[in-house]
Amino acid sequence: MLHILRKQASQNVIMSIFALAVSFLFLFPLYWIFTSSLKGDAEIFRKPPTLFPHQIFTDGYVGQLTGKHSVLLSAKNSFTIAVSSMTISFFLAVPAAYGISRFRLPGSKTLIMTFLVTQMLPASLILTPLFLTFSKLKLLNTYLAPILAVTTITIPFTLLVLRPMFMACPSTIEESARIDGCNRFSAFLRVVLPIIKPGLVTVCCFGFVHGWNDLVYSLTFNTNNALFPMTTTIYNLMNEYGIRWNWVMAYGCMLVTPPILIFVTAQKYVISGMVGGAVKG
Amino acid sequence: MPALVYMLMLIGYPIIYNFILSFQDVSAFNLAAGGVRPFIGFRNYKTVFADETMKAAIWNTFYYTVSCLVVQFSLGLMFALLFHQKFTLAKPLRGFLVISWMMPVTVTALLFKYMLSPDVGIIDIFLKSIGIIDQPVGWLLNQKTAIYGPIIANSWVGVPFNMLILTTGLAGIPDEVYESASIDGASSFQKFLYITLPLLRPAMMAVLVLGFVYTFKVFDLIFVMTGGGPVNATEVFATFAYKLSFRFYYFGQGAAVANILFIILFCVALVYLKLINKEETM
Repeated sequence: MLHILRKQASQNVIMSIFALAVSFLFLFPLYWIFTSSLKGDAEIFRKPPTLFPHQIFTDGYVGQLTGKHSVLLSAKNSFTIAVSSMTISFFLAVPAAYGISRFRLPGSKTLIMTFLVTQMLPASLILTPLFLTFSKLKLLNTYLAPILAVTTITIPFTLLVLRPMFMACPSTIEESARIDGCNRFSAFLRVVLPIIKPGLVTVCCFGFVHGWNDLVYSLTFNTNNALFPMTTTIYNLMNEYGIRWNWVMAYGCMLVTPPILIFVTAQKYVISGMVGGAVKG
Repeated sequence: MPALVYMLMLIGYPIIYNFILSFQDVSAFNLAAGGVRPFIGFRNYKTVFADETMKAAIWNTFYYTVSCLVVQFSLGLMFALLFHQKFTLAKPLRGFLVISWMMPVTVTALLFKYMLSPDVGIIDIFLKSIGIIDQPVGWLLNQKTAIYGPIIANSWVGVPFNMLILTTGLAGIPDEVYESASIDGASSFQKFLYITLPLLRPAMMAVLVLGFVYTFKVFDLIFVMTGGGPVNATEVFATFAYKLSFRFYYFGQGAAVANILFIILFCVALVYLKLINKEETM
């Protein structure tokens, strides 16, 4: 018996070490972006390349955080776009998901299927028509253009993730709350929403990250530098800096920080959302 | 249902508008001249299909999609099997791998562009140091190898997604099946072949179809890494449509290419819906 246990323990260690090695290899690009961002101009061109910065330079960060092309300006734009699109899709899609799950509407199955398909649509399909429409409505070069465009992805996603959760939440709970004196709305607010809180966290995380990561909508709809989010700026910087990779990587590090922070704090929700939102209708 | 109305406006309307555009002669020139948009039937499609770039785009899109699917699916399956084993670090490590999927694609694209660059790219330097190549390949600058850059980058993003969905599939296979197979004297390879693979089929189908859809419509990654070049070597449907609309301002032709992309994806999506419907009724 002891022999078997010991064998299992050593197997556990071997497997763990092996998996650790595989994971490190897989995530090596992340390590590389971080170390490269801290290298000086000379070290980034050294051959063979250094695996870790021998001398830590923070020029890439300091230089880009200050000055007239400050990252902070773009970061503000990114936040505006991400938070607004998250909020819009939250307030539109959460009641919609609830409605679809609670009331038997004719054609609600078709509706869900439509949303599933919409989520799969390529951005390039709606890019040209939205561009022409927005230009007619004078929405080009405003925050609203990319925000509205991003919600076309986040709303279907929110619906698809939340609908099964609302369905799993028994309506008897709601009914008893209404007997206790809640009206339909406050029962929804005070009883149902707290139950599906994990789902709400999931869709908020994704709503934010989608808005934050968007490149193509801002690039197409906005030509005004002052409105560029970080993704558009880094794309333009690449052409401007040429091969000052340490600066590009430093910018990249700052750009990936919010999604990674969200991921680390809400890992459980993010993973469940990823699986749930993609597979189930 | 405000959400429904909203979505109709922002998605339904553009799809129809796009469809109409693809049959009209729309360019920056006649938009400026007062917005007369003559109906020209299939001429946009004819022009587009006569274009050499379109041929490159068709080939590249399919080549890219299939290669990505092969790489990310096989790696994803291997990772799923590895992290399905019961050991201490399995869960936390599996979680961390997902970071590559969460990153902004723009950054991923730049990162891989850096790693694949001929002068300072770690990949060329590594390959050179172990003696596989003696000259830097300059992946993205070479017409023959450029497409592999986005393929590698996209697979890196796609592996965790494949892994997670396959893991969920694996978790759904009851342990008893394996136990009884062991009693019957099945080897681990036999167990994999006759139990894991067949029972994992639904998850595998789902991941392949979804992977196809997400890969097929690629835009950001290629746009940032190569911009479609060198000489159309990495041009795909989405980047070609973008170029026609927003670099040359042939909105009608851009819409035509986008519409072709849409029709292909729509067919695949229908297949997928059939698939999950069948499973639900089973």
